[in-house]
Amino acid sequence: MSAVLQMTDVSRVHGSGATEVHALRAVSFAVRPGELVAVMGPSGSGKSTLLTLAGGLDAPTRGVVEVEGVDLAGLGNAGRARMRRTSIGYVFQDFNLIPALTAAENVALPGELDGVGAKVARAAARKALDEVGIGDLWDRFPDNMSGGQQQRVAIARAIVGERRLILADEPTGALDTETGEEILRLLRARCDAGAAGVLVTHEARHAAWADRVVFLRDGVVVDETGSDRADVLLDSGSPR
Amino acid sequence: MRWLRSWRLPLRLARREAARARGRSVLVLVMIALPVLAVTAADVVIQTAQVSAAEGLDRRLGSADALITYQPGSGQVFQDVDPTVSTSNGTGDTEQVLPELAEVEQAVGPGTTGISWDQGSVGVETAKGVSDTEVSELDLRDPLSDGIFDVTSGRPAAATDEIVINHELADRGFDLGDELTVRGGATYTVVGIGDGTSYHGYPMAVGLPGSLGLAEKRYQASFLVGGGAVSWDQVRELNAEGALVLSRAVVLDPPPRSEIPDEVKAFESGTDSAMVAVIVLIVVMALIEVVLLAGPAFAVGARRQSRALALMAATGGTPRQARRVVLANGVVLGGIGAILGVLVGLVVAWLSLPIVQHFSDERLGPFDVPWPHLLGIAAFGLLSALLAAVVPAWIASRQDVVAVLAGRRGDRRPSLRSPLLGLVLLGVGIAGAVLGASGRGEFFIAGAAIAAVLGMILLVPVVLVAVARLARRFPLTLRYAVRDAARHRSRTVPAVAAVAATVAGVVALGIGVTSDEAENEGTYVASLPMGTGVVTDAFAEGEQWDTLRAATLRGLPEATVTPMQGVAEGGDEEKTSYYVEVLVPGSDDSEEDTRLLEYSSSVFGSSVLVGDELPSALDLPASARGPAAATLRSGGAVVFTDRGVESERIEVVAHRYDPDATDEKVTRVTVPALVVPVADGRSAPVAVVTTATAERVGVPVGTMGLAVTGAGVSEQQESDAQEALAGIDENATLYVERGYQTDDETVIVQLVLGALGAVLMLGGTLTATFLALSDARADLATLSAVGAAPRTRRGVAAAYALVVGMVGAALGAAVGLIPGIAVSYPLTRGYEPGAAAHYLDIPWLLIVGLVVVLPLLTALVVGLSARSRLPLVARLD
Amino acid sequence: MSVKQALLALLEEGPRYGYQLRAQFEHRTGATWPLNVGQVYTTLTRLERDGLVEGAGADAEGHVVYRITEAGRDEVAAWFTTPVSRTQPPRDELAIKLALAVTVPGVDVGRVIQQQRSATMTALQDYTRLKRRAAAGQEREDLAWSLVLDSLVFAAEAEIRWLDHCEARLRRAELERPETLLEEILADEAEAQAHR
Repeated sequence: MSAVLQMTDVSRVHGSGATEVHALRAVSFAVRPGELVAVMGPSGSGKSTLLTLAGGLDAPTRGVVEVEGVDLAGLGNAGRARMRRTSIGYVFQDFNLIPALTAAENVALPGELDGVGAKVARAAARKALDEVGIGDLWDRFPDNMSGGQQQRVAIARAIVGERRLILADEPTGALDTETGEEILRLLRARCDAGAAGVLVTHEARHAAWADRVVFLRDGVVVDETGSDRADVLLDSGSPR
Repeated sequence: MRWLRSWRLPLRLARREAARARGRSVLVLVMIALPVLAVTAADVVIQTAQVSAAEGLDRRLGSADALITYQPGSGQVFQDVDPTVSTSNGTGDTEQVLPELAEVEQAVGPGTTGISWDQGSVGVETAKGVSDTEVSELDLRDPLSDGIFDVTSGRPAAATDEIVINHELADRGFDLGDELTVRGGATYTVVGIGDGTSYHGYPMAVGLPGSLGLAEKRYQASFLVGGGAVSWDQVRELNAEGALVLSRAVVLDPPPRSEIPDEVKAFESGTDSAMVAVIVLIVVMALIEVVLLAGPAFAVGARRQSRALALMAATGGTPRQARRVVLANGVVLGGIGAILGVLVGLVVAWLSLPIVQHFSDERLGPFDVPWPHLLGIAAFGLLSALLAAVVPAWIASRQDVVAVLAGRRGDRRPSLRSPLLGLVLLGVGIAGAVLGASGRGEFFIAGAAIAAVLGMILLVPVVLVAVARLARRFPLTLRYAVRDAARHRSRTVPAVAAVAATVAGVVALGIGVTSDEAENEGTYVASLPMGTGVVTDAFAEGEQWDTLRAATLRGLPEATVTPMQGVAEGGDEEKTSYYVEVLVPGSDDSEEDTRLLEYSSSVFGSSVLVGDELPSALDLPASARGPAAATLRSGGAVVFTDRGVESERIEVVAHRYDPDATDEKVTRVTVPALVVPVADGRSAPVAVVTTATAERVGVPVGTMGLAVTGAGVSEQQESDAQEALAGIDENATLYVERGYQTDDETVIVQLVLGALGAVLMLGGTLTATFLALSDARADLATLSAVGAAPRTRRGVAAAYALVVGMVGAALGAAVGLIPGIAVSYPLTRGYEPGAAAHYLDIPWLLIVGLVVVLPLLTALVVGLSARSRLPLVARLD
Repeated sequence: MSVKQALLALLEEGPRYGYQLRAQFEHRTGATWPLNVGQVYTTLTRLERDGLVEGAGADAEGHVVYRITEAGRDEVAAWFTTPVSRTQPPRDELAIKLALAVTVPGVDVGRVIQQQRSATMTALQDYTRLKRRAAAGQEREDLAWSLVLDSLVFAAEAEIRWLDHCEARLRRAELERPETLLEEILADEAEAQAHR
């Protein structure tokens, strides 16, 4: 199956001359449908840069970023914005929601920005909120929701409209472990249902939810675990 | 449809944002609504006060169909729809007998009935004296007059010895049933009291036709007619007979403009281009000011929304959509502000009508709401809010999404282009000012001023950064304020620019006003030697002068009062009248203009003084006094010129008109003369001649005035003497030369300018300061966490106010000098060629007040009130 | 390993025979620490000797059933109320291996760390997968199993964090003094153990 996200030899240099910073150096990276890939690394390792490049919020200095087979560089700003409305969903660590919009309106945002009628967008939003288990909170404002609920709304916004690529930047960072796991479970479920996900985190516990873990150091992929193997550490006859 | 839909989300966001950030919203609403309110209220009051022709019909016509007015000798007349605009070719017979009612009824057409309505004025004897009273001879019982005069108590006059008066006249001591006597006329019984519907504020009375004796001295005859609409064609026919017609039907349904006679159209004032230029200038400046004052609030709002905008970008929003979200704030707040301003303005106008009525003689019309105007005013409010949101919107759409999402500030570095454009605009402003000063006129300078102010606005960021560079040595609070101001340019720049624009305007106008004043002072010509006075009375004769002299001496016992002799000119139809010219010999035949004085209006009551001694009150250079006295002694004449005329002799020409002769009689006498050049002869007499010369030309000589010399006259003494003189003859006046006196109006204008500048400056400074404080809450929290006293907060607030106020004022004063100095050239350019060319007076006190004192004062006030205001600050997010 | 106390705790719920005890133990701890039946019977014999359990006859199928005594109950209660001792760090092969790798010349320490981290990460992923399955169950036993998994998850995570830390310090040390590292790493390890 072809990759939803394909990054080939991507480099990103900030600044120039004495202040030149290599955020990413020739990184190649692919995420297939149904796959959740975690990107791990200390701060400054380039993991967030990788995510902004994948979502077309930033452009690589060198290399190619393709989403669903389309080269983002060839799209222009408007085209990349359209990709984010229809194909790519973002989830950030916190303050994910626009405080002046209700949960449903936040989720309907991509649709409304895309010019879909408010009614249609709202219906899709309600469905997405149901999917993340907070359908009854649709008319709440973010101020009146817990951190976990807000993050669920963010997930709903990232998946609404059947988007194929979900980019999550430390989505559990501001949450306690229990609530964090709920969020990861939602992400995981979405990927199991066929979406491709990239999860940037510095916590191994969260990265473990992924199918693959990529380790970044100073903008370079230093290691990668592929766990296509079955349960290794435990006996195969382990209880269910 | 799609375009509308694309605004739905931004508008929803803006609405919610406005409700969330209540303090900031209120701030913007006030900025937008206040000017809208003021202009709306003013417009409604003006429109209400102006009684349009249609509105005023009942007041002027009662229930009649037309008011027809004949004036003798007017011949064919031409009129507009409303006959207040009319012309006459004046070929009619002045002896023409005014028509009687029956003739008028016949002239209008069959079936017409009418009543006459003569108007005039009489003196009514009151307890205190005589009251001038406007009187009408009109039968108020006739239904045709309904609506012209409201009788509120009593009844209309039913007999020729009955009269109806208005409340103003009743207030002078009349009540129902009282006797009322007209000076030199009959006595009437007051049977009714009421009010005229058109005017109030002075005494009026209405009696039956013929009862007040107006017919004998009437100069026109008016008739109210009813019985059918009077058409435009009928109006034209009546015009041909010399009658002006106010027809209800024509006013309510006017004929096309093409039907209006050309003779009248000539009066139509085309839209004055200069007026338009002034209005455009005022609107543009007001717009700039409002935009700059409201700008910081939008800038802060956009910054608060930057995370939301970045999230929108991450979910696929385009920069255009981000821009729309910020602009929508302007649409929402501007729309609410404009509507609010208009509504409150209407209420204010309605509430202020009684006050306006109190100061106006004319009765106000029905409450008149000029909706098209109000629409324009509201549009102005909306536009100003939109423009105030444009720059923040543009900055917001360019923000670095990745940086904002990572929690950093996403401001892009300011481009170099805008300061460069600013320099260019400033250059254009200076060049325009120079061109305007060298003869292109005020409007050129005004345009240049706008360019200079816009250029200055673009340069404000550079100045702020430069000031921040100097901040190293400042104390902590000031250093923080300066650096913070430079860092948050989107919020500081408009505030500083608002202050600067205000100060620039005030300084420019201030220079104009004081330079104008300097010119007035510089070109002032004393009529008399300093400290001397003169008593004149155009109608006093013979012994009356002795009484006047005695009165003057009573008021000014230490003064020497000498009668001044002069040629008595004028006279009336029954008497012989004289007119004296003083000429260079032989000049009446020459084509050349050899008048001695450009313009003469002697303060002495006569243009030719007569005396064998030089009158002491004459303002002569000391060096000329000796020769002048000598010339008079030798029988010559002393003449004055401000036109550089030189001559050894002059000719005195007397024109004598006898009432029974048909032509004038001219006598000429030539005498040796001393021509005294004066700078400005506006108040000088033309000549002083000897008694002998006056006798030779055969003109009567009499006392023309009293010279008051030999004593300093205080202002109190002057007014006492003035009162004493008025007690004898109301025409007598005393004038004392005191040199140049500053016009009260100039002082008021300067005060108003200063106050307006101060208010706007305060507005700009306070907005910026409190927005900055609310923005700086995190920093202030850090400061207090490391142990800063609450005093530090006040210090920061005061320092912020100082930075905004002083930088703005200094910049504004510098920029204001350009148009200010430029405008002093056309303003003070003399009318006469060769007059002193240019006066320039820079009001340094005003400038120092604006640049130094006011910012310090503002800072002090802000500093003192900062703590108690902190809750307010907390709401301003 | 407190197999003794664990069996006593299971017996507190009611009399059981050896095989039942083994099944229960493995069910509750998710077969993380497998027991063989021999070990169970040896332990039961020892408990009977100490008077903590007593025989309760045999069931219909002939299994010997054990029952807890009063003394046994006291022992279980004491076990639950006493914290697990941290005074003696268990011997940690990984820490020792890394300490030696740093000091023995010719070993690529970075590679050692990387390999270990990959392995631990893989294990962590497996635990997480198991946890996802366990979380689906509603039984109290599922929760018990899930908590045991969490213990393993946190331990593995701590190990990865420690490895990351080692890697960062090694990098820094390469720029400074490479000799004194051994002691520091061991000290850090001791500290990490204490916190675990």
